[in-house]
Amino acid sequence: MIDTSVEIAGVTLPNPVLPASGTYEVDEVHAGFFSPSELGAVINKTIFMNPRPGNPPPRIWETPCGMLNAIGIPSEGLERFLADQLPRLRSLGPPVILSIAGNSLQEWQDLAAAVDRTGSVDMVELDLSCPNLEEGFIWAADEAALSRVVASVVKVTRLPVISKLSPNVRDISEMAVVAERAGTAAVSMVNSYQGMAIDIGTRKPILGNITGGLTGPAIRPLAIHGVFTTFKKITVPIIGMGGIATWQDAVEFLLAGATAVAVGTQNFVNPLTMKEVIEGIAGYVEEAGFSSVRDIIGLAQE
Amino acid sequence: MGRHPVYRSATVLEAKEEGRDYLDLLLREPEISQTTRPGQFLMIRAWPGVDPMLPRPFDIMQADPREQTLRLFVKVEGRGTALLKSLKPGTEVKITGPLGRPIEDFSCPSMAFLVRGAGAAAVVHLAEEARARGIGVYTILSASAASRIVCRKYLEPVSTELLIATDDGSEGYEGLASDLLDDLLRRKTVDRVYTCGSRRFARHVQRLDREGRIKGFVFLEGLMACGMGDCHGCAVQKNGQGGYFLVCRDGPHFPIAEVVL
Ligand SMILES: Cc1cc2nc3c(=O)[nH]c(=O)nc-3n(C[C@H](O)[C@H](O)[C@H](O)COP(=O)(O)OP(=O)(O)OC[C@H]3O[C@@H](n4cnc5c(N)ncnc54)[C@H](O)[C@@H]3O)c2cc1C
Ligand SMILES: Cc1cc2nc3c(=O)[nH]c(=O)nc-3n(C[C@H](O)[C@H](O)[C@H](O)COP(=O)(O)O)c2cc1C
Ligand code: FES
Repeated sequence: MIDTSVEIAGVTLPNPVLPASGTYEVDEVHAGFFSPSELGAVINKTIFMNPRPGNPPPRIWETPCGMLNAIGIPSEGLERFLADQLPRLRSLGPPVILSIAGNSLQEWQDLAAAVDRTGSVDMVELDLSCPNLEEGFIWAADEAALSRVVASVVKVTRLPVISKLSPNVRDISEMAVVAERAGTAAVSMVNSYQGMAIDIGTRKPILGNITGGLTGPAIRPLAIHGVFTTFKKITVPIIGMGGIATWQDAVEFLLAGATAVAVGTQNFVNPLTMKEVIEGIAGYVEEAGFSSVRDIIGLAQE
Repeated sequence: MGRHPVYRSATVLEAKEEGRDYLDLLLREPEISQTTRPGQFLMIRAWPGVDPMLPRPFDIMQADPREQTLRLFVKVEGRGTALLKSLKPGTEVKITGPLGRPIEDFSCPSMAFLVRGAGAAAVVHLAEEARARGIGVYTILSASAASRIVCRKYLEPVSTELLIATDDGSEGYEGLASDLLDDLLRRKTVDRVYTCGSRRFARHVQRLDREGRIKGFVFLEGLMACGMGDCHGCAVQKNGQGGYFLVCRDGPHFPIAEVVL
C-alpha cells in the first residue's frame, strides 16, 4: 500500500484530491455518487459577508473543450452559511477549507476572523481571483492589493491561509511570490481565464454579465505552465487545478509541482471524477514503484 | 437503492428517428428506471472525449421499472443532439439521474397539459401517473404543422381527451392551442394546468393562474452544466421577491406565479 497523504501548511490531507470551490456541493443530492469522506479535503463555494443574488442569466456557455461562466457567486451570506452549512462540512471527516471573499480590506478581515472563531475550520482560502463579479475588481491581479489582503488576513487568523490566484495577470508565478511574502501558507492556482462569447445572430455578448471565466480541459496546458513556473519560485505548497478531467491530468499537475489538485468543471460532466482521480493517482504511484504520492511532486522539474 | 441521483452507464436499445429532427431514444438502465418520478430529468453524454464537454439535459419521458428502461424524446438542435441521433442500438451512454424535483401532489380531480413540440415529452410520465391514479387528463398538443406533432402515441392512451392545434391548420384546430385550453376550461372542471415548450403559452397560463381560474405550472429549460445544483448556471428569476431559482434543483417545473417568464 502506498501512502497517499500530503501535507499543506501543517494540515494532513488523506489524499491530494479536493473539489475546486464552487463546483461540487457535498450535500444530500450527491450522497449517491461516492462518500465525501473519501476526499482529500472539502471546500465550500466562496462565501461573502452579505447575501448576494448572483448575475443575471445566461450564466454559462459551452465552448470548445470548456465552458464560460459568469455566475457572480450567489451567496447566502456568512452568518447563514456558518449556521446551516459548516456543521455538515465539518462532520464529513476530511479537513475543511473555507473559501471566502471580501469587498474591502475590512470585510476580508472580518470574514477571516469570524471563520477562525468557529473553531471548525482547518484552512481558509481567499478567493482573490473571481473574474465575474460586477465589482469587476480582481484582487490577485494587482500586486499591492494582493499583498495587502493577504497580510491583513494573516494578522487576524491563526488558520493557514491559502491564496487563490488569478491567471489573468502577466506572470502568475510573480503573484505567487507576492502572496508568499505577504504570509500565505499555500497558493491555489488557477481560477478561470477571462473570456467571452458573442451571439452572431443578435450581435450581442451571450453572457448576462458580458464577460465570463473559461474553465475545463481547454485551460489545462495554461494551468500546468502556471504551476510549473511557480514551483521554482516559492516554498509554500501549490494546490493545482484547471481542466483536470482524468487521473492522468491530475498526475500531470503533481509532476509539475502541485502538492494537491482540485477538480472543477469535470464534476459537472462526471460526478465520480474525484473518486476516479484519487484511485488513479494511487495506482500510478504504485505502478511507478514509489511509496508515497509525495515522491512524485515536482518530478518534471528535474 | 435510494432516490439520490446516480451516474450510470445505460445501453441504447432503440434510437428511432421521427421525421427529420426528432429522435425517440430507449435506454436500458436498471436503477434510474426504478427511482425516477414524474417531473424529473436526466443528463446524458453519449460521446467520448471532451468536446462537446457538457452532458445534455432531457426529461425522462417514460420509465418502465419492469423492463428497466427509460425513454427520452429528443429534438435535434445542435451538436450534442446530432450525436444522439447517430446512436446505434447496443451503444453505451452515460446518464446521471433522476434529477430535479419529483411531482408528488396528485390531489386534484383533473389536469390539463398545454404543450408545444418536444415540450410534450416533459408531461408524458406525469400524464401516465395521473391516469393511473384516476385523475382526468386533458392534453392539448400544439405544433407548426401536422408533421411536427410529437409524442401523440404516448399521450393518447392516457388522455381523457386529446386535442390538437396547428399553426397552418394541417391538423386539428387552426390557430392557438391556448384557445383550445380556454374552451376546455369552459367545458370541464380542470384545476391544474401544466405547460411546456412555448413562452407564449406559458404567459397565457400565468394569466389564467393570476385570475384564479386554474393553478398553473410551467416546465422551464435553462442552460445547464451539472443538473444538480453545483454550478448555479441554470438560474431563472423569481417573481416578486427578487433573486433566482435554479431550474435543475428547484424545478424543472415551477408554480407559474413564482417565476418571471
Ligand atoms: C430540464 C430540461 C429538460 C429538457 N428536456 C428535453 C426533452 O425532453 N426533449 C428535448 O428535445 N429537449 C429537452 N431539453 C432541451 C435540450 O436539453 C437541448 O435542446 C439540448 O441540450 C441541446 O443540445 P445540443 O448540443 O444539440 O445544442 P447546442 O446548441 O449545440 O448546445 C450548446 C449548449 O447549450 C445547451 N442548450 C441548447 N439548447 C438548450 C435548451 N433549449 N435548453 C437547455 N439547454 C440548451 C446545451 O445543453 C449545451 O450545453 C431540456 C432542457 C432542460 C433544461
Ligand atoms: C461554475 C463555476 C463556479 C465557480 N465558482 C467559484 C467560486 O465560487 N470560488 C472560487 O474560488 N472559484 C470558483 N470557480 C473556479 C474553480 O474553483 C476553478 O478554479 C476553475 O474552474 C478551474 O478549474 P477547472 O478547469 O477544473 O474547472 C468556479 C468555476 C466554475 C466553472
Ligand atoms: S445546472 Fe448546474 S446548478 Fe443547475
